[in-house]
Amino acid sequence: MKKLTFRRLAFILVGLVAGILSVASIDSLSAREKQVVELPLGLDPFKVPADNPLTKAKIELGKQLYFDKRLSSDNTVSCASCHDPNKGWSNDAAFATGVDGQMGGRSAPTIINSAYFPLQFWDGRAKGLEGQALGPIANPIEMNLPIEKAIEKLNEIPGYKQQFKKVFRSEITADGIAKAIASFERTVLSGNAPYDKFKAGDESALSPEAKRGMDLFFNKAKCSACHKGHSFTDLAFHNIGVGYDKDKPDPGRFAVTNQEGDRGRFKTPPLRDIHTSPPYMHDGSVKTLKEVVEFYNKGGIKNAQLDEDMKPLKLTEQEVADLVTFMKEGLKSENYPHVDPPELP
Amino acid sequence: MKRITAVTTVAVLMAMTSLVLAEPKVETVAEGLTVPCGVAIQPGTGHVFVADSAAGRVVRIVDGKVEDVIVDFPIDKYGKGPTYPIGPLGLAFVDENVLAVGGGGYPDAKDKLRVYNIPAAGGDALNADEDDAAALEIPATDKLAGEGNFYGVAFTGDALFVTCNGDDTKGWISRAGVKGAKVGPFMRAIATKELTEVDAPVAITVAPDGSLAVGQMGEISLPGDGLLTFYDPKDGAKLANFETGLSDITGLAYAPKGKLLATDFAWADTSEGGLFQISAKYTKKKQNIEVTKITGLDKPTAIAVDDEGNVYVTVIGSGEGASGKLLKISNL
Ligand code: HEC
Ligand code: HEC
Repeated sequence: MKKLTFRRLAFILVGLVAGILSVASIDSLSAREKQVVELPLGLDPFKVPADNPLTKAKIELGKQLYFDKRLSSDNTVSCASCHDPNKGWSNDAAFATGVDGQMGGRSAPTIINSAYFPLQFWDGRAKGLEGQALGPIANPIEMNLPIEKAIEKLNEIPGYKQQFKKVFRSEITADGIAKAIASFERTVLSGNAPYDKFKAGDESALSPEAKRGMDLFFNKAKCSACHKGHSFTDLAFHNIGVGYDKDKPDPGRFAVTNQEGDRGRFKTPPLRDIHTSPPYMHDGSVKTLKEVVEFYNKGGIKNAQLDEDMKPLKLTEQEVADLVTFMKEGLKSENYPHVDPPELP
Repeated sequence: MKRITAVTTVAVLMAMTSLVLAEPKVETVAEGLTVPCGVAIQPGTGHVFVADSAAGRVVRIVDGKVEDVIVDFPIDKYGKGPTYPIGPLGLAFVDENVLAVGGGGYPDAKDKLRVYNIPAAGGDALNADEDDAAALEIPATDKLAGEGNFYGVAFTGDALFVTCNGDDTKGWISRAGVKGAKVGPFMRAIATKELTEVDAPVAITVAPDGSLAVGQMGEISLPGDGLLTFYDPKDGAKLANFETGLSDITGLAYAPKGKLLATDFAWADTSEGGLFQISAKYTKKKQNIEVTKITGLDKPTAIAVDDEGNVYVTVIGSGEGASGKLLKISNL
């Protein structure tokens, strides 16, 4: 026992002295977790914090909390109100509506494949899904329920008390709520689209139009400069000019970093099943995918921080249509993550 | 059983002490540089050459004195805020008196890889437009954007490999064959983004086994996404790909005994920047990486190591005007 402690201490000291970057705190899916979540074709494994391993019971608890309107001050709003599985895990409004019909200034992003983002929100102000999950509950214009109040409320529901005991071996805590919701969100995955089948060798998976669209996406139209990898996002922040036709453009990532170059930068959204979640962009200002492509075709909206990759693309009408077809058909998952609201305790 | 444990403990403690003892020594060799972005050591003389980028010149440092070698490079801008003026970037010696310089002072497609016959120390400086120096470009084609910002230059013995920052859908490393005095053609060679899904190859050096070690910056707005990749210079095949946890690797160099060192600029939060040691091992089946911070540095941009293991790093530094420096780091 003593021996062990000494060795551990030595390790900790070495770690401190050497300043070895802690890659160890986050791991890819373990063998056990792979049995809990199945990765659809085309997706890479995602990272799970070491202190929040995925388990079936935790995911189930998280699902209940995600759909439970009692986590809002007046029992009218749940996470699913704004991130609705039937609406692309987003909603169909430009701005999301919280309790008392209050509206924020940004559109609700999809939860699909948010498991991959190290930084959450359009401006990346939250770290990881755990760091994000409690925000909306307490946010006055979203669910407006201070976390202590939320815990009090959940404590009155025996089914939740029991589940927290079982999953976390503890009382209901804010940390537990965040971990459970984050675990559920990690299961909302989209892959296995015609694009993935095509890449895996099935030439007939994409129509000729979608194939042409794919070629444009990765070459002439330069979409893959930012929408890259298995979820079609570089996970980073760019200024494409959205909002710069208004009086006071949203400062985006600048508000978090104070670096001038981050002004008007927003997170590159993932594009799988993108046809299910209009309207588009952080301010919901673009209604259809065709309008999105037209926005890019004219080079976005000029401003001092506009990304270097934003230049007029000179796409023909047919090319615009092909790109839209690629997104609509090529990225449409054959097993879209449909989730029905669970029975609540 | 008990003995093994004791041995491990001792080993761990020894590792600790050696790490404690190895307090690196950081000295300033030259000051008054503006956005220095490249460093190379001249074979034979051991003189350190620096691309004093925003000053549009390549200099050599002799006994702490900065001496112009090539002047009047054009200057362009990089970044959306902070914005840095940039001219000459990567440096690599092809021969004792033959220096390759990657350009960043023109727009993409017009930037040049130039190869100069340089004068001996104390000689007259050359002009960047020197007629005799090769000037190679990678223009746009119907399908591909032109290339530019030739940040990293490495010489393998028969070719120069150059990192490019033009087409962000491909992330090209380009190659120029070198045969005697003949350099070229200069052509796109490795589409790093197609092989790794991350672009912005920036740092490049030749590993002891002859492979190319490349630092891929990824997105400057995303911390921690920097890759270390290894490519076969013969066919461009990807040999290994490591997530380093570093943000923006700007320089890579091997010290004697094969120790790999890297500078991380860390755009999103430059207070995290510094000099790192990377131990990256791979076989076909397995790979393993360990990254250790040696010392913090203020916006480091390039690195070179001399035969004795002294490390030379250029830093942009902070403050108005010519805050750039050449640092010498020893006792690693
Ligand atoms: C009133 C509507 C609303 C409710 C309720 C709501 N959200 Fe959100 N959500 C948003 C909006 C709007 C954003 C984007 C805000 C921003 O970026 O500043 C967002 C962002 C997110 C993100 C970041 C996604 C990304 O790609 O960056 C996640 C994850 C998320 N919400 C999860 C949740 C969870 C979990 C709940 C319930 C605890 C919840 N949301 C409740 C509107 C809502
Ligand atoms: C310079 C990086 C960049 C390039 C190039 C780029 N995008 Fe985007 N894309 C973004 C960012 C950032 C956003 C979010 C912008 C905002 O809301 O302010 C976005 C948003 C979108 C959206 C809306 C997604 C949503 O959930 O609201 C779609 C669709 C899209 N892009 C498709 C494309 C297509 C198609 C191309 C090529 C024609 C392309 N993008 C090129 C960075 C880029």
